[in-house]
Formats: sequence, structure tokens, C-alpha cells
Amino acid sequence: MKTRMLSLPQWRARRADAVPAPQGTWRLAARISGRDLSLLVDRRAALANLGLCLALAVVALLSLCLGSLPLDPRTALNGLLGQGDVMDVFVVQALRLPRLAAGLATGAAFALAGCLMQTLARNRLATPGIVGIDNGATAFAVASVIGVGTSLAPPPMALVGAATATAVTFALASDIGTRGYRFIVAGIGVGAVFGALTQLMMARVAIDAANAAYPWTVGSLNTRDASAVLWLSAGLLVAFVGAAGLSRAMTVLRFSDAVARGLGYRVKACRYLALAIAVGLTGLAVAVAGPVGLVALIGPEIARQLSSPRGVPLTASVLAGALVMTAADLTGRLLLAPIEVPVGIVTAIVGAPFLLWILLRPSSRFVS
Amino acid sequence: MNAPLESAAPLAASQLSLSYGHGRTRRRVIEALDLTLPAGQVTAIVGPNGCGKSTLLASLSRLHAPDAGAVLLDGRDIQRLPAREMARRLALLPQETQAPEGLTVAELIRFGRQPHQGLFQQWSAEDKRIVDAALTAADLHALADRPLDAMSGGQRQRAWIAMAIAQQTPLLLLDEPTSALDLGHQLEVFELIRAQAAAGKTLAMVVHDLVSACRYADHLVAMLDGRIIAAGPPREIVSEALVGELYGIACTLIEDPATGSPVLTNLRPLR
Repeated sequence: MKTRMLSLPQWRARRADAVPAPQGTWRLAARISGRDLSLLVDRRAALANLGLCLALAVVALLSLCLGSLPLDPRTALNGLLGQGDVMDVFVVQALRLPRLAAGLATGAAFALAGCLMQTLARNRLATPGIVGIDNGATAFAVASVIGVGTSLAPPPMALVGAATATAVTFALASDIGTRGYRFIVAGIGVGAVFGALTQLMMARVAIDAANAAYPWTVGSLNTRDASAVLWLSAGLLVAFVGAAGLSRAMTVLRFSDAVARGLGYRVKACRYLALAIAVGLTGLAVAVAGPVGLVALIGPEIARQLSSPRGVPLTASVLAGALVMTAADLTGRLLLAPIEVPVGIVTAIVGAPFLLWILLRPSSRFVS
Repeated sequence: MNAPLESAAPLAASQLSLSYGHGRTRRRVIEALDLTLPAGQVTAIVGPNGCGKSTLLASLSRLHAPDAGAVLLDGRDIQRLPAREMARRLALLPQETQAPEGLTVAELIRFGRQPHQGLFQQWSAEDKRIVDAALTAADLHALADRPLDAMSGGQRQRAWIAMAIAQQTPLLLLDEPTSALDLGHQLEVFELIRAQAAAGKTLAMVVHDLVSACRYADHLVAMLDGRIIAAGPPREIVSEALVGELYGIACTLIEDPATGSPVLTNLRPLR
């Protein structure tokens, strides 16, 4: 039986008329309503993404299994489907799954934001956490939690905070791409101011309010708010679409501006769009988990190590970020059980030496 | 619809005024400049440091927006051309070329196809053919899979020019393509530029060395303080007086016995 309207995408790699793919890539080609469509898939990046997916599946399963009530994988998976002992189902579906989802979403969001910002500023240090966006979002979220002159919920407040911190940094640095270091230095200063504001607010309010706001200041997945996770999921969907559309521009943004513009890209527009996505993701992720900014540094770095220099590892960053976040949260839950170490502290303990390694690694140009 | 003003000139500047800097430090570098690039020829823009030649080239390639006047590509104002269409008609080799770490020569050249590709048209038989042709033109086939960072300055510069060739544009602008290269590598790059003109492209380059400009360009544009003080075939316009005016030096001009192009000798301070 033949369908004449639309021929399905077919694998043409072995046909005689196939176009040879460049080294290290697979070419997927299809002919849809008379138009030749082709995609180049980077082999190394594809394998890296596959490996990260597998690792992520393992860690996700572990985080459903492990805890004060250990479950074997079969019981955990059954619990996920609502089968088995009522207690097991409750632990998996009501306690561990939401926490896992929050970890995956925040890790993905932080790391994607980090990768976008590193690329658009052409500097590996230009992650949202380092340039003060996390701190801006935290200050506003804390203001919302303890009720300082506002009635907005934490997620929109964190968004406003992230945007405010970025705007102030921009005003101080006047430009981002051509003078990446200025943007970073201005951002570190702005971040310090917002960090101090958060501390000031915490010191001035009643102890109950300060306790309620505390998780936002260290970064924790323990007290995430269901609506904040929904906000973040919606934001992630929009960000994925935007980042996919920008993916080709991002590979070209790694060149100097003159080269990128010579290749027909509207460099400023691409940069602002990528920055807007990164700021939005950071704000929404901070509203869920607080400032776990080091994931934005570690995730893309792992992704870059695994992928090839041909492209910008946006997908791998998403996966690596989710992996780091869930692994860190799991470690924090188990390390000193029954006491829980907040995920922000775990990532800081792992992340700080990692940052030093990036800076001190021989033969590395940390501005890339 | 703009009618082409002059079909023989693919790129021209008309009453172009350019400024540089921001706020109080902003100053006019070029005032009401007219320029036409002769089709199918190599134009060299020469002049002392700070005369505005690189700013002019940046403006010709739309990196620098004019205060007044326009740059016309086939008679149309380039500020109104969509970015991608512009990149299919004019390629640029800027002075500041920075590439991601670890990229190979072939991968760099493939980026030249970007203006012709789309999110779902990432690699066609034509792309393959054109990238191969660019590798051949720049004599880089043997080095195609070597990382860019591991190559000599001349090879790297040829790779960048090959990327611009892969853009398949009728126009190619180069900003000091030989500035950091030794004599042998300079020659390689200039020969590649000449070959492109022989293949029918129109080229313009900013060059520091007047003798190389005379040797390799068909058309010379001499700039001083943001003005064009002489333009034409090198043999006709280069004189001891012009060299004195441009660089403030005295010299004796002789003819290269092999090529007939002007050569500067006996250089000395003017006063």
C-alpha cells in the first residue's frame, strides 16, 4: 500500500544517491511535500545525550527507591503506577515523585540558562549564579515569602527579581557580548547587593517568617511549592522551543560578532532573546529550589566535556543539569539521614572545587 | 522598488558619513564619502593608521551604520536588506576572527554555508560540493580535518577565506587579511585573493603595506583623514608626492622589473 500524500521521513544513508555527511555526523534526510529536508546529527553529541539519558534514568530510579523507607526498584516502579502497598504508593507518588520532578525541572532550567548565557557572553563564567541573577530572584522571592510590601507569589516575584538584577547589571555594564568581562564584574557586584538585601530582610523579620524564607536562601527541594513547579514546567516548555529555534544562531555566536553578523545573523537580537530565556528560566527555577546556581556552571561544563566542539551542547546541558541536581538532592537526603542537607549546600561543596578545577586546569582557556 | 543606480558597480558608497565612539568621545571619521568598487576587480584601501579605512570597510559590510548617506549593493541600501540575504551576496573576513576551541578546518568552512541553510535544510549535495570546492581553492584538502588552533597563521587565514568562499557571494571584503603573517604566508593569501577575482568575484581589502597593495590590487583607494585623496589603478595614481602626503615620508619610486608595479625605495623622513 502506498501513501501518495506524504512520504514518511526515511533513512537514506545507504542509498546510492545519498549525500555524504560531514565527518562525525549522521545526515537524516526526508522529502516532505516536494521539499528536501535534512538534519545533521553530531555523532558524539548524540552518544553523549544517550549516555546522559541512561545515567539520568538510573539516578531518577534511585531517588524513587532510596530514603527512610527503602524500596526495591520493582516496588518503586509499581508504586509509580499506583500498584502495591498503600504506604509504598504514597511514599513514591506523593513524596518522592514530586521532589524528583522538581529536581529534574530545576536542574534542566539552571543548566540550560547557564549554557545560553555562557554562549551569548562568550565566557564560561557568565552563568546566572555568578552574574547575580540568582541573588536578585532570591531577594524578591524572600520578600514575597516574608511579605515585604508585596502580595505577589514567589514565582512571579522571583522572575521580577531576576529581570531586575539583569537590567541593573546591563545598565552598569552597557554591553554584554563585546565586553563580557564587564558584564560579569558588574553582575558580581549587583549579586552581592541583592545577597545583602536578602540577609537584611531575614534579620529584620520575626523568626517564623525567617524560617519560612530560609530554604530560599540556601537552595532546597524540600519545601518546593506545587504552583512554582507548574510555573517552571510551563517556562521550560517555552524555553525548549525558543532554544531549539536559537540553536543554530548559538553555534555562530561563539565566533566574534563580526563573523556572526557576516554569516547573516542578527547578533544583538539573538543575544537578547537568549538572555531573556535564561533570565526567565533562572527566575522560575529559583522560585522552586532557591539559588542553586552552581548547577548552571557544572551542567554545561559536563555537557561540553562530553560533546563535540562543533555545536553548543544545549540538549546535553539540560540532561547534565537535571542529572547533577537529582544526584545532589539524593546525596543530600542520604548523607546525614535523617537530617537533610539542602541541595544548594551539596552542589556548593561539589561545585566550588569544580570551579577551581575549571580555572586552574592546565591548557584551558577559561574564556572560550 | 529601488532601480539599480549603476549596474556595473555591485557595491558603492554614496555621500557616506561615519562616526566612531559613544557620547562625548564620538567623533566624525568619514564625511560625505563617495566610492565605487569596480566589478570583478580587487580594490585595495590604503592609508595611514586612523585614516578611517577599517571603519569604511565595516560600513561597507554593514557592521557600522552610517550617520548619513548609504552603501548601495546593486543599487539597494544595505541597511534595508535582510541580514541573511546580505550574507548571501557579500562575505566578510573581519580582522578579529575568533573561533570555538577544537573546530576543524572543514567544520569552519561549513559555517560558510549557514546563510544558505535552514533549521531543516542542514546539509545538501550542493553544500557538499561547494565546501569541497572551497577546500580545493584554498589548497586545504590535506588539512581538512586538522583543528584550526593547530595550524600556522597563513593556513588559518586561508581557512577563513575558504569559509567566505563557501558563502558563494559575488562580493568579498577583507580587513587586513595579511596583517599578522610572514612574507611567504602573505603571498599565499594574496594569490588566493587574486584567484577569486579571476573567478569573477569583486573584492575589496584594507591593506597596510602599500607595495603589496600595488602589486595585488587592480584599483587603489588612498585615504587620509576620512577622505579619499586618490583612486585608480596603482600605476597611474601612486607617486612620490602621494606617498609623502599619506605617510609623511620621502621615497624614490621605481618599477618592479618583473611585474611593472610601483616599488618604494630609499625611504626617509620627509623633513
